[in-house]
Amino acid sequence: MTVQQILFFYFATVIVLLSLGAVTMRNSVYSVLMVLAMFFHMAGIYLTLNAEFLAAVQVVVYAGAVLVLYLFVVFLVNLKQEARITRFVKHPALGGVMAGALFLMLLFAFGSFSLGPQGAWPVAAIEEATFTRALAMELFTRYLLPFEVVGLILLIAVVGGIVLAKREESQEGAGRETAGSSITRGEA
Amino acid sequence: MLIQPRPKRSLLETVLLFEILQGMALTLKRLFSKPVTRQYPDEKRQPFLGFRGKHALVRDPQTGESSCVACLRCATVCPSQCIYIRYHEEEGSGRRVVDRYDIEALRCIYCGYCAEVCPVNAIVLTESYEYSAYDRQTNYFDRGRLLNNWDAFVKESGHDPVAYVNPFWRPRGVDEATLAGPRRRKVPEEWTRAGQPVGRLCRSQDSEVLAEGVQR
Amino acid sequence: MALVVHMLILVGVVLLHVAYATYFERKVIGHMQVRMGPTRVGPLGLLQPIADGIKLFFKEDVIPGCADRTLFYAAPIICLVAAMANLAVLPFASGLVLAKINIGLLFVFAMSSLASYGVVLAGWASNSKFSFLGGLRSMSQVISYEIALGLSLVGVMMMAGSLDLSEIVAAQQQSRFGIYAIPQFLGFFVFVVAMLAETNRAPFDLPEAESELVAGYFTEYSGIRFSLFFMAEYIGMLVMASIATICFLGGWSGPFAVPHVPFFWFAAKIYGIMFFYFWLRATLPRYRYDQLMSLGWKVLIPLALLNIVVTGFVKTIF
Repeated sequence: MTVQQILFFYFATVIVLLSLGAVTMRNSVYSVLMVLAMFFHMAGIYLTLNAEFLAAVQVVVYAGAVLVLYLFVVFLVNLKQEARITRFVKHPALGGVMAGALFLMLLFAFGSFSLGPQGAWPVAAIEEATFTRALAMELFTRYLLPFEVVGLILLIAVVGGIVLAKREESQEGAGRETAGSSITRGEA
Repeated sequence: MLIQPRPKRSLLETVLLFEILQGMALTLKRLFSKPVTRQYPDEKRQPFLGFRGKHALVRDPQTGESSCVACLRCATVCPSQCIYIRYHEEEGSGRRVVDRYDIEALRCIYCGYCAEVCPVNAIVLTESYEYSAYDRQTNYFDRGRLLNNWDAFVKESGHDPVAYVNPFWRPRGVDEATLAGPRRRKVPEEWTRAGQPVGRLCRSQDSEVLAEGVQR
Repeated sequence: MALVVHMLILVGVVLLHVAYATYFERKVIGHMQVRMGPTRVGPLGLLQPIADGIKLFFKEDVIPGCADRTLFYAAPIICLVAAMANLAVLPFASGLVLAKINIGLLFVFAMSSLASYGVVLAGWASNSKFSFLGGLRSMSQVISYEIALGLSLVGVMMMAGSLDLSEIVAAQQQSRFGIYAIPQFLGFFVFVVAMLAETNRAPFDLPEAESELVAGYFTEYSGIRFSLFFMAEYIGMLVMASIATICFLGGWSGPFAVPHVPFFWFAAKIYGIMFFYFWLRATLPRYRYDQLMSLGWKVLIPLALLNIVVTGFVKTIF
């Protein structure tokens, strides 16, 4: 086994264990922290694949921004109350059977896995040009249109979010404004 | 509600953060100014005239004892009631003899009323201010300690124990002649009536006397 | 082996820097407020930081009864590790860098986002309202300003064409002005403001606002654990000052070369920025929370985006 394989097995095992921990932990803050550690190990896997840009973005975006928002939600929502929900499926065995079937299906699909044809960027070329540059070259030349489309979709999501948040606030704001103006009139 | 109008700023001033720069210029200027710090244990501050500090019982030069007559005015007037006096009457003459005279200095609020009402200038507040201690007992002054406080104050300040009188040891703005007690120490002429540096009279014409005290 | 020695030297120098940065701060702010600052321990109070360190080391380590112990122990360590990991990628002089990696700038971002976990976990694990509020404030503040911070540096990345900190300095030396602070003045401004917020310094020190939150997220910490947070804060300041120096002020290059001290200009620039930190702290009052948020989202981020667009246009045209 090469060093890379050892590292891969280490990261893969830890990722599986941490994911299991994240769904089984009783304390939801610990769950979020498990996911945090998992993200770091995923960044580690990216590093073994010479994808240092992806590794850094994984930590900056997922660990640094997305997960912090999760933590916010966990802090602000009363989870002890949320946890007391009625069971969706009566028999726990049914869920187990379904999960097992899915797992078996994945195992069967595993056999049909085959390496694709070699791309335009072999490892040596990436190492020479650095991953960041290679990624940028691909994104902004060959995949420019998909990249822009993704950007547009994200923009629409952001605008939609602002519209949804703004509508409620503008109604409240209107109410507040009339109250405020009446006070000013009273003072005058 | 008081609405404060925003100060007028031109667009250029807003963009260049003019007010923040003004503030920073001020702090930078202060960086090179001389500090106003008084390095306390090394440079001791001279207390102002009338400073109300450590309590003392004036030691009478004739008897070597306190001149207290146990009239209890100080204990009565004391707002925080931190003066405790025990006395008995001498058989025959009926003269009051002080058995105990205690001041719990930690409860004192330093209003100075006790020194003002005392008809014989027995209890005074000296200008000594360094008497912090590690335990509460040290600042529970009994008669012996109070007399020692006076000795220490006289020694430290260099005042003449017979002639020294502080004009603040009497009610403010009251004529000397109307005060009770012939045994009160006489305040020098320039401190009385018009020359009195305290009370209502001192507002305008006597400010130079105060200024003298400040310079001291 | 040589690497370990280099690491130890770096950590030692930085810890000494932290100790004397506190002295420097107290002196500067003291004199700006017409006081004197520390004068008692040693000549001119120069041994004060050492005395403080010894005092903190021997203080009792108090842990609140209802605290989550594991996280309470972990939080200051996360903070300190996140701050110290940055030191590895900072080039102090040409070739004087522990780990030259080609995503240096992104690594710094990643570590500074990790530092916010230490803060927020400290707030949560202490099980105290002041700590918790401080932690929440810090978290939202750091997330908001990290966007502005990252966007303000995009202009630099575009001009230098690299994420490697050493290469950014090298590209700067060959640029027309020698430093990026002149062509990237907008980015520099946004960076400086976001830098103050990111390190929780005045006027953005809301997470540890003394007047309302006692000490914010580290209210419940004492002794050596408190000092870990303290060190993390000052190392964070050092790292941010270094990034400002590297990305905008030309790194280790200066008007003339100083023999035998290759990092002279780097250190001088860093201490200039540290002085600026203290200067602001002595001048400005604290922001209100909603003002802080609206400044970040409505002023700094649009400015940074504008800077990126302008930089892109200028780069394509010329």
